[in-house]
Amino acid sequence: MKTKFAKLFINTQKINRQHIQIAFALLTLTLFVLGAGAPSDGGINCH
Amino acid sequence: MILLAAILAGLVVGLFLDRLLNRPWMVPPLRKPWLVILAFLPQFFTLYLPAMRSRVPDGLASAGLIISLVLLLVFCWFNRGLSGVWLLALGLSCNLLVMAANGGFMPISPQTASRLVPSETLAALGTGSRFGTKDILLLPGQTYLVWLSDHFLPPEGCPYQVAFSFGDVVIAAGAFWLMVTQGKPLKTQRSS
Repeated sequence: MKTKFAKLFINTQKINRQHIQIAFALLTLTLFVLGAGAPSDGGINCH
Repeated sequence: MILLAAILAGLVVGLFLDRLLNRPWMVPPLRKPWLVILAFLPQFFTLYLPAMRSRVPDGLASAGLIISLVLLLVFCWFNRGLSGVWLLALGLSCNLLVMAANGGFMPISPQTASRLVPSETLAALGTGSRFGTKDILLLPGQTYLVWLSDHFLPPEGCPYQVAFSFGDVVIAAGAFWLMVTQGKPLKTQRSS
């Protein structure tokens, strides 16, 4: 039982770490393309 | 929107291919990601934050935009070993070049803009006015490097109309490729 809990704990930690890494990489790339790209749909108010 | 779709499409294709080849999908090992966050801040405050956007003078906004793009180029330099990043850098350089040559904003012609907003809205704006988030309305004759400006449009029947540049297309391709290959060079992919 203890081993099962330990395994579950390790797996949860692994999943969380990987999820955080994926989320951070996606955030970085999202900010990069939003920052570097300049497509326009005229959506934001013009002044 | 089209650029975010490229990331998502790359992620889906990358996950699908790795599942097909029975190997785990790895996060692209991006170096110095904080540079991207730092680079995005000037744009966030001067272009995307509505409360600040109207208060910031155009000169300051354009300077912030150019500084932001230069910082993103530095990020590309640190990550030049990852596949797809050279495409990101190429697209970014194209956008940076045309923006720097036209006063710090992406030029868009009134003809292209007329597909995006009602004619009354466009009539109220003169040449040289800010348009959308990063664009400036300029006649093709007044635009430097016009072939790098926002002059591409999807087919007329398309429900989502957006003007985009050659640089945007290359950035989208780079983001897609980076997500599919997870940044690994092709040689490494073939040998693994």
